[in-house]
Amino acid sequence: MTRSALSVNVRLERSQRQSPKFVLDVSLDFSSGPTIIFGPSGAGKSTLLDCIAGLLKPQGGRITVGSETLFDATANIDVRPEHRHIGYVFQSLALFPHLTVLQNVTYGLAPLPPEQQNQRASEILSAFHIEELRLRRPSELSGGEQQRVALARSLVTQPRLLLLDEPMTGLDAELKASITQDLLSWNAQRPIPILYVTHNDEEVAALGGSLVFLKNGRVVEQPRTNTLDAQTRSR
Amino acid sequence: MEALLLSIRLSLTVSAILFAIGVPLAYWLTFSRWPAKFLIEAIVALPLVLPPTVLGFYLLVAMGSQGPLGRFWQTAFGHGLAFTFTGLVIASVLYSLPFTVQPLVASFESVDRKLLEASAVLGASRLRTFFRVILPLSIPGVISAIVLSFAHTLGEFGVVLMVGGNLAGATRTVSIEIYDRVQSMDYASANQIALGLLIFSFVVLSVVYGVNRYFGRNSGRGIWSPWPAK
Repeated sequence: MTRSALSVNVRLERSQRQSPKFVLDVSLDFSSGPTIIFGPSGAGKSTLLDCIAGLLKPQGGRITVGSETLFDATANIDVRPEHRHIGYVFQSLALFPHLTVLQNVTYGLAPLPPEQQNQRASEILSAFHIEELRLRRPSELSGGEQQRVALARSLVTQPRLLLLDEPMTGLDAELKASITQDLLSWNAQRPIPILYVTHNDEEVAALGGSLVFLKNGRVVEQPRTNTLDAQTRSR
Repeated sequence: MEALLLSIRLSLTVSAILFAIGVPLAYWLTFSRWPAKFLIEAIVALPLVLPPTVLGFYLLVAMGSQGPLGRFWQTAFGHGLAFTFTGLVIASVLYSLPFTVQPLVASFESVDRKLLEASAVLGASRLRTFFRVILPLSIPGVISAIVLSFAHTLGEFGVVLMVGGNLAGATRTVSIEIYDRVQSMDYASANQIALGLLIFSFVVLSVVYGVNRYFGRNSGRGIWSPWPAK
């Protein structure tokens, strides 16, 4: 995949009652591999991911993945979320509570024949060390297991980019490191851009890659590596 | 017995029609962003606050030989609509509409929106999301809607009397039968039928609440209680 595999240039205004107007105005290019979107609460990190996934419609700008345009306000292009082919792990994980792990993981594979679904599911369950959980429901899993299932479900469709919105909240450091390692191993074999939203320093250090610092809906700094200095954090 | 069978036939027909109408209507009411949606919500809820005689009166006028619905029916099928079983079905569908739609809307609204977003991002169409996520997670509401529309139709009186009258075998439902027996001072048989209806209604509501409790316990949500678990 070429550099600048994902290009995001969006402007979105949201006005809510009893709170000042929020404006997200960013222009970013992402290459393959992890990029950490770092910043305080309310910086617009999740809003940015929702715009890329097509769950929010910006008032202006353009989003492209490779040569395909997902959104272009000027050309009136807005590809629906189900056609964007993007993996997204929400902060709440959003596993379907009435489906088993296997059914959750194969949910996005509906267009494929059953044999291919099973093969893909087996591969991804094995990659994330959750084969033995395939018949359990999300309520029967630990936090770390649920996290692995959510990642497997997002990646089994072989998306062209992966969005992760504070997916490891509440997990201990050892578990985070283990899951991060599985994710990086997977990404090494299938290089796609990974946008990882967090405001946790440990996760920033563990994931590597580049880092974008967002504050009040704007990019404060986009360093080449993810070394967070005291000056950046204090802004 | 004839009245009871007629009531059951009416309730089954109305429940089936209401389910077919109620599910898409409730879906639209839950997810539509149309600014004037509240007007449709108000119309659907009208039978909850209107006296049955008011609704029955307007339906009777509409279905009468000079009413728009009555004239249309006469032209299309060669017979009138008022004081017929079909007329009764139409009136009952309108009268019981909120009892189907409101539990469905409440259930659809309670489904976590993140699940719907997850479904969309995973490539599922809106139809697939509905059948694979929304509907399975709304089973208690669906059961409530079906049972309540059935039970409400079975027990209705005012609208039935206004639109259907009291024709044996055609429009004399079990509630009209009870009224008839009381009017003729036959309290013993009126009591038998009334008691049967009372027991039936109690059983139906117990099933609804029991099923809702079962699904509540199995939905994975923690239920706090001030009483210790046994």
